[in-house]
Amino acid sequence: MKRLTALLITVVVLAGLAAACGPAPTPEVKVVKETVVVEKEKVVTQEVQVEVTKEVEVVVTPTPEPEAPKPTGKIVVWGWTAAIRDTIEASGVLADFQAEYPDIEVEIVYYAPSDVYTNLPLALTAGEGAPDVCLVENSHLAEYVHLGGLLDLTDRVQPYLDKMNEYKWYDCEKDGKYYCLPWDSGPVVMYYRRDVFEAAGLPTDPDEVSATIATWGDYLEACRTIKEKTGAYCFAHNKANNYGRLYEMVLWQQGLGYYDPDTGEVTADSPENIGTLEMLGQFWEEDLVSDALEWTDPWYAELGTVNLEDQPIATLIEASWMDVFLKSWIAPGTAGKWGVAYMPVVEEGGVRASNDGGSVFVIPEQSANPDAAWAFVEFCLGRRESQLKLFAISGFIPSLETTYDDPLFLEGDSFFAGQKTRKIYADVVAKIPRAGVYGPDYNMMNGAVQVAIQRYAAGEVTAEEGLKEAAAEIRANLE
Amino acid sequence: MALEATIMAPTERRRGLWSQMVKSRWAYAFISPFFILFLIFQFGPILFSVYLSVVNWKGLGAMEFVGLKNFTYLFGAGGKAFRQSVLNGFILFFMYVPIMTFLAIVLAVILNSEKVRGIKVYRTLIFTPYVTSMIAAGFTFRLLLEQKGGLFNIALEALGLPGVPWLESVWWARVSLCLLVVWGWLGYNMVLMLAGLQTIPRELTEAALIDGASPVQAFFRITIPLLRPVILFSVILSTMGSFGLFNELMALFYYTRGSGPMRATLTPVVHIYHEAFDNFRYGRASATAYVYFALIFVLAYLQNRYFGRED
Repeated sequence: MKRLTALLITVVVLAGLAAACGPAPTPEVKVVKETVVVEKEKVVTQEVQVEVTKEVEVVVTPTPEPEAPKPTGKIVVWGWTAAIRDTIEASGVLADFQAEYPDIEVEIVYYAPSDVYTNLPLALTAGEGAPDVCLVENSHLAEYVHLGGLLDLTDRVQPYLDKMNEYKWYDCEKDGKYYCLPWDSGPVVMYYRRDVFEAAGLPTDPDEVSATIATWGDYLEACRTIKEKTGAYCFAHNKANNYGRLYEMVLWQQGLGYYDPDTGEVTADSPENIGTLEMLGQFWEEDLVSDALEWTDPWYAELGTVNLEDQPIATLIEASWMDVFLKSWIAPGTAGKWGVAYMPVVEEGGVRASNDGGSVFVIPEQSANPDAAWAFVEFCLGRRESQLKLFAISGFIPSLETTYDDPLFLEGDSFFAGQKTRKIYADVVAKIPRAGVYGPDYNMMNGAVQVAIQRYAAGEVTAEEGLKEAAAEIRANLE
Repeated sequence: MALEATIMAPTERRRGLWSQMVKSRWAYAFISPFFILFLIFQFGPILFSVYLSVVNWKGLGAMEFVGLKNFTYLFGAGGKAFRQSVLNGFILFFMYVPIMTFLAIVLAVILNSEKVRGIKVYRTLIFTPYVTSMIAAGFTFRLLLEQKGGLFNIALEALGLPGVPWLESVWWARVSLCLLVVWGWLGYNMVLMLAGLQTIPRELTEAALIDGASPVQAFFRITIPLLRPVILFSVILSTMGSFGLFNELMALFYYTRGSGPMRATLTPVVHIYHEAFDNFRYGRASATAYVYFALIFVLAYLQNRYFGRED
């Protein structure tokens, strides 16, 4: 009897240990299935003048009626709350999708971007556990495309190849095949505080600002003026924990990057790259920039500072999707005080456009319901109406160019004192150059160059030494 | 008994071993859970890692045989991060291990005497940080150490001292990390020392005190030498710990993915993690892991050899 009890305990312990090694508890899962009564597309009936009493119905729909039966089944969607909950769901696009595809059940799992980038590659390499649809930013997209495990969507995206921003396709293409459908782009602009500019004696009208601060040389001058007259810092540029975001934006604008997109050669230590870093270094040298690190509390604090006396940050060079974050949770108290201007160029004649971020939907090969997954992806991102609805409540400017003629783009934004900001975003997006910043080895390249920037900022090395070391590391890594 | 053993036939002796094992079959059954899990989840991957270290593999797709390239890479330009991480391990070790070990011994001695009231409460308080999640503690420390607005700097400035760039400078970042590590691990080491102290007979210290030694002399001349094996054990564990810091780094230095400013606090384990899961270089990560293992092995061997018990 004693032995039996002891054996039972062993089995229980073994089972307990095995269970403890089981899969991690499932994260927050939200099953969404709403039936909303939505007005169906109007059916245009045309009566043909014929002796026959038959009515010929001409049905007009914005997209061609699928001949195959509608996909059914359940799909799991991974994405971050700002994009899925606050945009796809809040705008009603999810409800529209459910109405059109009532037999597809959508289960949404919210993951922060860093969690997506931890869990998705693990699921892809493990061969199971991946969702049917996953939201991925462009910075990490190429890595997963080259890793493998994503569904080939080449045939399905054919109709969209010339309708989306061209540069978006670059990261999701491999050997002529496409593995994503783009959602939004990240055209970079310069946000500026009108009240700070006014106090510094600078123009406040956006067109004038764009004309006055046309080059980074002008920007340096303006920053000096702002510091002198108001004491405020010009923009935020952390030294010790810098992860290269601003540097990448300025590189991209010049068509530069960590590598040459055509030849693959590493360009992290090219004279132009070094020059760009030195140019940013001048702002550090003259103490014109604050030390706040992006996406930390001090950074939010200086963006959200309402009163002039408390020295808000004067400008912010970031992508268009930043405006919704400013409005909603970072700086709601500063409504009406901001303006949007074009970002300055490094050299005259350069293009006043760059990119930061932007995301896409991908479908892992493991998906048991690829048709349903594609139906979801296409509905949300491929249809003009959906993209416009998403854009209306968020700052995610669609990569779908057919949306740009909508009156939505001509609306004034009260947060920016009535400025027609969306027009500027659309204008910038069309000019984003091709550059080798994102790519299949982005993490590694960014990691090496980060250290170079930090060491240069600390004064330990010159820009040339730092970048040459980083480039050597990158090249050794790529062998 | 011994005579009987020598004149026993060989087959009988062998049967003796087997029958012994059969006799203890329940003992084997009870320790089997650990070994089964160990074989599947740890030993198997260890062997697979040896194979991985000579190939290039992204986790999916083909494995490309590359021979010893993953190892030679560590000594070239690409291995800079790894070499920095090993250096960091040594620096961190010397920064916090001596202090922490000494504090642990002192605290253990104080809390070992029955004269202190509420001993159990103090012991629990000191041990509690060890059982808290280091990730949660790390994030809390990060908020406290924020240069503008973190409590530490606010307190310093209230006293009229300048604020410190806790997480923004190479050496202060290391200090911050050491603060967090000592906070979290002091309790554990103290308990180790307490256990060791239990083995030292009270009479020895009492005899010394009667003979006229001061408590401090007794401490340094009797207690510490007798605690030597425990101290060695604690130091070896701390060595592995200082090279293997992971949770603390990921929490404190979230934005540089654990590297810290200018890779000041990168440890080998975090570096291997980056190689494998951020850069998708499983082959290189495996090779790095084996080199790291060899390093720790050598360090532990040397420590054992030179500071171990000389009998």
